[in-house]
Amino acid sequence: MAFSKEAYRALEDIVGPDNISDDPALLDTYAFQYLAETVRPNHSRYMPRPVAAIMPCTTEEVQAIVKVCNRYRIKVKAYSTGWYHFVGAIKPEDDTVQLDLRRMDRILEIDEKNMFAVIEPYVICAQLQAEVMKLGLNINIIGAGASTSILASATSLAGWGPSTFWMGSNPDNLLGVEWVTPAGDIVRTGSLGSGDGWFCGEGPGPSVRGVMRGNFGALGGLGVFTKCAIKLVHWPGSSQLDITGTIPAYRLPLQENFRAYTIAIPTWDAWADCFYKIYDNEIGYVFHRQFNLAGADLAGAFWLMYIDPTKTLNDVEQMVKQPEIKKLTDELRISFQLILAGRSVRDIELQDKILDQILAEVGGWKVKRFCEQDMAEFTNLYFARMGHKHLNFVWVGGYMGSWMQGGTPDYVKGYQPIAAAQLARDQKSGLLVQSGGDALMGCGSGVAGGGHMALEQFVCYDPADHDSVDTVIKDMHGATADAVAHGYPPGKEALYLSVGMKDEDLYAARRRAPQPFFRYQWKIKQAFDPNDVGDRMYMTLPPEDETTD
Amino acid sequence: MALEDYRADVLRCSRCSYCKWIPFDHVKSWRFAKGCPSIDYNKFQSYSAAGRLVTGLSLMDGRCDVTDRVIDVAFKCQLCGSCDVACKVCRYDMEPLLALHELRFKLVEEGHTLPQNTPVMEGFRKEHNMLMKPKGQGGKWADGLKVKDLSKEKAEVAFHAGCRSSYDRDLAQVPSVSASILQKAGVDFGILGKAETCCGGRAFHMGYRADFTSAAKHTVKTWTNAGVKTVVTPCADCFHTFRRLYPEVGSQVEVLHMVEFVDRLVKQGKIKLSRPVTMKITYHDPCHLGRQGEPYVPWKGKERKIFGQAVVYDPPRPRYNGAKGVYEPPRNVLKAIPGLELVEMERIKEASWCCGAGGGVREAYPEFSSWTAGERIEEAMSTGAEAIVSACPWCERNFMDAVNAIGGTMKVFDVMDLVQQAI
Repeated sequence: MAFSKEAYRALEDIVGPDNISDDPALLDTYAFQYLAETVRPNHSRYMPRPVAAIMPCTTEEVQAIVKVCNRYRIKVKAYSTGWYHFVGAIKPEDDTVQLDLRRMDRILEIDEKNMFAVIEPYVICAQLQAEVMKLGLNINIIGAGASTSILASATSLAGWGPSTFWMGSNPDNLLGVEWVTPAGDIVRTGSLGSGDGWFCGEGPGPSVRGVMRGNFGALGGLGVFTKCAIKLVHWPGSSQLDITGTIPAYRLPLQENFRAYTIAIPTWDAWADCFYKIYDNEIGYVFHRQFNLAGADLAGAFWLMYIDPTKTLNDVEQMVKQPEIKKLTDELRISFQLILAGRSVRDIELQDKILDQILAEVGGWKVKRFCEQDMAEFTNLYFARMGHKHLNFVWVGGYMGSWMQGGTPDYVKGYQPIAAAQLARDQKSGLLVQSGGDALMGCGSGVAGGGHMALEQFVCYDPADHDSVDTVIKDMHGATADAVAHGYPPGKEALYLSVGMKDEDLYAARRRAPQPFFRYQWKIKQAFDPNDVGDRMYMTLPPEDETTD
Repeated sequence: MALEDYRADVLRCSRCSYCKWIPFDHVKSWRFAKGCPSIDYNKFQSYSAAGRLVTGLSLMDGRCDVTDRVIDVAFKCQLCGSCDVACKVCRYDMEPLLALHELRFKLVEEGHTLPQNTPVMEGFRKEHNMLMKPKGQGGKWADGLKVKDLSKEKAEVAFHAGCRSSYDRDLAQVPSVSASILQKAGVDFGILGKAETCCGGRAFHMGYRADFTSAAKHTVKTWTNAGVKTVVTPCADCFHTFRRLYPEVGSQVEVLHMVEFVDRLVKQGKIKLSRPVTMKITYHDPCHLGRQGEPYVPWKGKERKIFGQAVVYDPPRPRYNGAKGVYEPPRNVLKAIPGLELVEMERIKEASWCCGAGGGVREAYPEFSSWTAGERIEEAMSTGAEAIVSACPWCERNFMDAVNAIGGTMKVFDVMDLVQQAI
């Protein structure tokens, strides 16, 4: 059913005329999205334009909007902070109403004693962290950084980050949830559902975590999450980040119970051993292979340029040629960052001793230049707030991630050389940023306590250059092909590229590698979304005779 | 430059949303984490810097027409530069603030103007001020002061009052006090008095580039004829216009804000701030003195790629990211006043929240302007300060109006008001 004036008026009646628009220019600002150019015709930076953008401010308004969309058979897609090409309209033939949840931006409760916070969708990580730090508490800020919605990472996506090793992932930290299903019902999960508050996601009320988000999340395709509670963790630092330094090279001086290290390891085998030993010894507050996002050939020069506010990218060109930087670059090739946080000075001293022992056993060392005061204080701040994470885009504005298959460190080290060779091969064209074949970065662990992790390859390209965009797409297909050829499943690139696929091609691909959860999720969709108002980012596989759209 | 010159900036925007917030490292609370008044007030994505970039792209590509919404999006923004600072925490190849200006220039040059701006611009052209007042009413602040008249005499230092304090009786003491301080310090300076014309900065920000250029050329010629080598002003808007915009039309004078000048005089011992002023205050960084008050660096160059695709500039492009704004001189002056207790707000220096008056918003969108000022007053109140002090009459006017609207007791001062009390 086409989007009618009647439908628009029905939506307008819910939120008022100031909070809905169908102006084409305004809607284009919702259609313009990160990665659109990799899936849209002619490398357009626009995903399909929604038919309206609407901003509810209460759960009841969200519910009413979803019901109108059911009545008129209009797709409805919500986003909170709104980043990625799958957060809005996916298919041009669908009429999609874009819910912008910006007005739902409150921290509803911080329960210090029971260590959880109740939030609305547009509370970003930086805001919640700043508030809970005043109480000696902290949150897991995901890899995408401080600008992201903590609710979205917990309810709708994979919420891993550098501190997940210590704090758990946000899907794991998710407690009670308020969910408006695609049919317009309000579901309250866990203890919330039995009227016992927000403290538990799994009961004594209904546990529907597997239904509503599964492992990876429904990516906005299965209704709207309007509130959730998130678990908080201990923060042994000061009550606010007292930063120093000049923009962009802000710093956070290290308190006596903190350490910020960049650690180098001689071989990938020793690297995996080092990770296991860190898991086993339970040291570390933040644990991440982060700075390699700049690429192994350029990381040394790039970060030293970045912490000097008088320098720009121009300087990197000369810096990489300097002998001491070349030496540093080689030293950093197999490296990662580790923040230690002690509950006391004695505790941090013990962690230091344990780390030194681990490094002695695996042949690793602390990278001297990156552990000097300027870089250590920058590292400390970078991981405390994750406020510089969009350096992903620093080279030229485009980055696309590939690989990131999760497993043990031994599993991950197995694909490192394949991924590095594959990207190095594609960088030779000069149409990707030539930062080195190994631009792999990722959490020390994607689960609390360690054991399961992944590395994502950072492929940087120019979104303003069609040849460069072509090349990144080929590189992504190449990553999938190389992974499969070596016995690994496709990486995250497959998800990104699938956003632009035709239904028949997408379903055919899923049938070639049948997985029960696609069919199970199809049944969930039938039950919770009878009018098909959610989009296909909730991953399903319809029976062959029901594939009509 | 033209909007088209920023096409690559738009295409390379990652839509990360940094432009909506203060740099994240500075965030100290939920309440005062926002950086962009426009998106915070207007909510739709279009009202962010990223949204405006896309609006420009959509217009350039013919995907949309100039609607009332497009005009509203383009002009309902103070151009305070918070977005620009936050964007550049992670980017070296983006100039969002310049692109936002170009969007306005394009609309105005194509005849898509805001009706609210029409009488203001008529006043600018006829009366040479932005307050829609007869030009004869300006300059009264100088009555009784024995200073050189630059339209008749020569002096190396020109004191430029600016039209807000020249024509606003509540603020007339700021230029008057400033001139007195210069006299006490023995500075040989002159003024234009009633012949002083608007610097043109606010016309520039409203999108009227040609009008600005015309005004700027007139002023530069006047200074040249008077032998002026240094211009001092107590107005942050004028300061920014002279320091950052005038070099593009040929000005070569040194530009100092009054707080810089007084800071220099205090350090040199030429004035002494010895009388106690017992008060707890907080300082508001004006956008045009702070993050946008960086020195002008001439540049003409082009984009070049290294490492295959990484963007750099040949020669290296100056980086305006708020790092070199005028932050310490006003604080130095305030700290030199005995009895004064300076407490800082959460959003300061390059992360400062705008007063709401800039970009033509005070004139065209008074409600939005007042709301923005009110937000700042609330932030000032949260420090426990009894007064908010600034170094720009436009900020002070907006704060005074907001306090009146809110009904609070917060006092509003210019730094020079307190300097006068302390001398």
